[in-house]
Amino acid sequence: MSEIGFLPSFPLPFSAVLLFGSLMLAGVVGGWLVERFLGLPRIAGYVITGLFLGPTGAGVLDPETLHGARIFVEIALGLVLYDLGHRLRVRWLLRERWLLATGVLESFATFAAIFAALVMTGESSLPAAIAAAIGMAASPAVVLVVARDLQSEGQVTERALNLVAINSGLAVLVLTLLISYAHLARDAGWAVAAAHPAYLLLGSVLLGLAMGLLGIVLARWIGKREDAQFILVVALIAVTTGLAQQLNLSLILGLLALGLFSRNLDRGHAMLPVELGYAFQLFVAVLFVLTGASLRLEALGPAAAVVGLYVLARLAAKTLVIGALSRLSGLSLRQGALLGLSQLPMAGAAIVLVESTTSFYPEFGAGLAGVVLAAIALLEILGPIATQLAFRLAGEAGGAVRQ
Amino acid sequence: MSTAAEPLAFKRSEPLRLGVELELQILNTRDYNLSRGAPDLLRLTGKQKHSGEIKPEITESMVEIATAVHGRHDSLLRELQEMRDVLARCADRLNLAICGGGSHPFQKWSEQRIFARPRFAHLSDLYGYLAKQFTVFGQHIHVGCENGDDAIHLLHALSRYIPHFIVLSASSPFFQGQDTSFASSRLNAIAAFPLSGYMPFVSSWQEFNDYFGTMRDLGIVESTKDFYWDIRPKPEFGSVEIRVCDTPLTVEQAASLAAYAQALARRLLADPRTAARPDSYFVYTYNRFQACRFGFDGEVVDPRTMGHRTLREDILETLHSLGAEAAELDSADALEALVRQAETRQNDSAWLREARARTGSLHDVVRLQAALWAGRSGIEE
Repeated sequence: MSEIGFLPSFPLPFSAVLLFGSLMLAGVVGGWLVERFLGLPRIAGYVITGLFLGPTGAGVLDPETLHGARIFVEIALGLVLYDLGHRLRVRWLLRERWLLATGVLESFATFAAIFAALVMTGESSLPAAIAAAIGMAASPAVVLVVARDLQSEGQVTERALNLVAINSGLAVLVLTLLISYAHLARDAGWAVAAAHPAYLLLGSVLLGLAMGLLGIVLARWIGKREDAQFILVVALIAVTTGLAQQLNLSLILGLLALGLFSRNLDRGHAMLPVELGYAFQLFVAVLFVLTGASLRLEALGPAAAVVGLYVLARLAAKTLVIGALSRLSGLSLRQGALLGLSQLPMAGAAIVLVESTTSFYPEFGAGLAGVVLAAIALLEILGPIATQLAFRLAGEAGGAVRQ
Repeated sequence: MSTAAEPLAFKRSEPLRLGVELELQILNTRDYNLSRGAPDLLRLTGKQKHSGEIKPEITESMVEIATAVHGRHDSLLRELQEMRDVLARCADRLNLAICGGGSHPFQKWSEQRIFARPRFAHLSDLYGYLAKQFTVFGQHIHVGCENGDDAIHLLHALSRYIPHFIVLSASSPFFQGQDTSFASSRLNAIAAFPLSGYMPFVSSWQEFNDYFGTMRDLGIVESTKDFYWDIRPKPEFGSVEIRVCDTPLTVEQAASLAAYAQALARRLLADPRTAARPDSYFVYTYNRFQACRFGFDGEVVDPRTMGHRTLREDILETLHSLGAEAAELDSADALEALVRQAETRQNDSAWLREARARTGSLHDVVRLQAALWAGRSGIEE
């Protein structure tokens, strides 16, 4: 044994670098296969690949490995949420108030619809409310990546991105309040119940604000060099993501705030509109393979009816409200319906929300967590297809001559 | 096909009446790249009451405005301002911006999308990448003529002044992210088309019709739309159409250029001595190049006097000589604005280069360009 000590021991453990590379490799092959033979969006391919490799499938990626890969997920989400926040133009949202109103109304209608559906099936109200809050959000990563992959441009795309940002932010807000209420319900006391949401919500926004202002100041010093500003932006994203994690703040709110403030407070236009390009593609491939691997389909069997109800209530609320309000913000009814459809995907990040909710409030984990996870799994695969279809049918996807 | 094709009838119109078409850029407000906004924008403008016409162009990031016919500069300007404001309001609702300028400074032509219309699809099939590279933005000025013979006479006579229009409208110094060193790089994109350049030397409407009939019988053209000449007759409008101008950065400049064309036409139509001769075209492409490349500093050759002089001098002398016409047409103010530009050698290209030097980014240049077009200061977004 000692003579051949220079040889590695098998099986090889997944080091971080090996894991990163393998995930990309799996993603690029799986994405291509699915795109080529099934005609589905590339990210659906990443998710399906992950599903095959994860605990639900072949088990190559066990839960421990997945946990070790969290850093890639966080950076990827950081890039996605920053980009999304950066697309929000406050002046436009204030002027085009019906869009803002649509975002708020459809979020709360979604909450109400899911809540009502779950309570009718006999769920108790607090877990039902938590499950409904998670369902408010569409997936920032899916909508943004589909839009980028298709080079989609137009009002449906533009508004879809704004709506995701609004409903994601509101979902975090409502969920945070509910978890605090859960604390209160379990006699943690008023102080904790009030301090927790205040810390999380304000802290996340202030973190994004501070990092955004830092970015503007640094950009002023660096000057308008695209290469240097690219590094600056990626650095800001990574630092904000890391701080949000370590300070127990919301990554979603913090990064959305970073993107939003760094654009809208930059009166002197010191920061260039940096194109994240290939860096974005790279992390997104890894993100969706990992998301696929962490999908849980177990509840799809026993609780299929409740899962179906959850998905339908969510879809109905979003398409009906968005469709009904579309005329008021200058869209055609058809565009409105497609805009509603584009919001189908549920956020993979919601898996983390389910997990963290369960740790705060174990009763949730025992009951509805499985239903929500199954709904996420279903919509993580169907969602990209719906969003892609919406942008295609709206005539906004790229391509040469279209009729 | 060639079965006794009808000769083209030149629609009689009141001489010196003006119409202007402007091709405009549709931008996103994030990085100020061209954006595919025409279908949504046109749906909104279609619901608004406005004079003139707002219509699609070959790619989905362009929109064209066309005014009604005007006798005077001030009413033309008012209509242009009105249309600009309607368009600005609609663009605002869609989170889009509009700007002038002959080229977009950093768009990639390969990303442009052809607007879904049979004629545009046909052009795209026929010209391949040229159709997308044709994502450049021009101003067309129509000057009314009483009959076809007058139109042909005016067209030849105006050809000597084509470099003036190039210099005074030049607003395409940047193309595909580069400083081209040209004042107007847009015309280079047009030069690749087979029927670009200038009209052959025909000296009457009858001769033009013979030429057109031959080209039609040869299967090369179907209508006068297929000629991409710098100036062409537009028989269905009863006008001569000047097509060399870049879309200026402001509607005010667009109206001034139209006033200049009108004053020149007034002089040229009245003066038989200005009848053109074939040899005036010997220097045409040389002078045109000088204007595109060097702007006010370009050196032109006069085939009659054999003299060389800068375009700045030539433009100033011409403008100063048009006092009587300007007074008669109420356009002295408009021509005065052009005089000031020539004196200070400030055209839109100079403005754009200065903006680039000041901000260091082409994204900022386009943002300022959009603010200038909308009539805002550009300090805010």
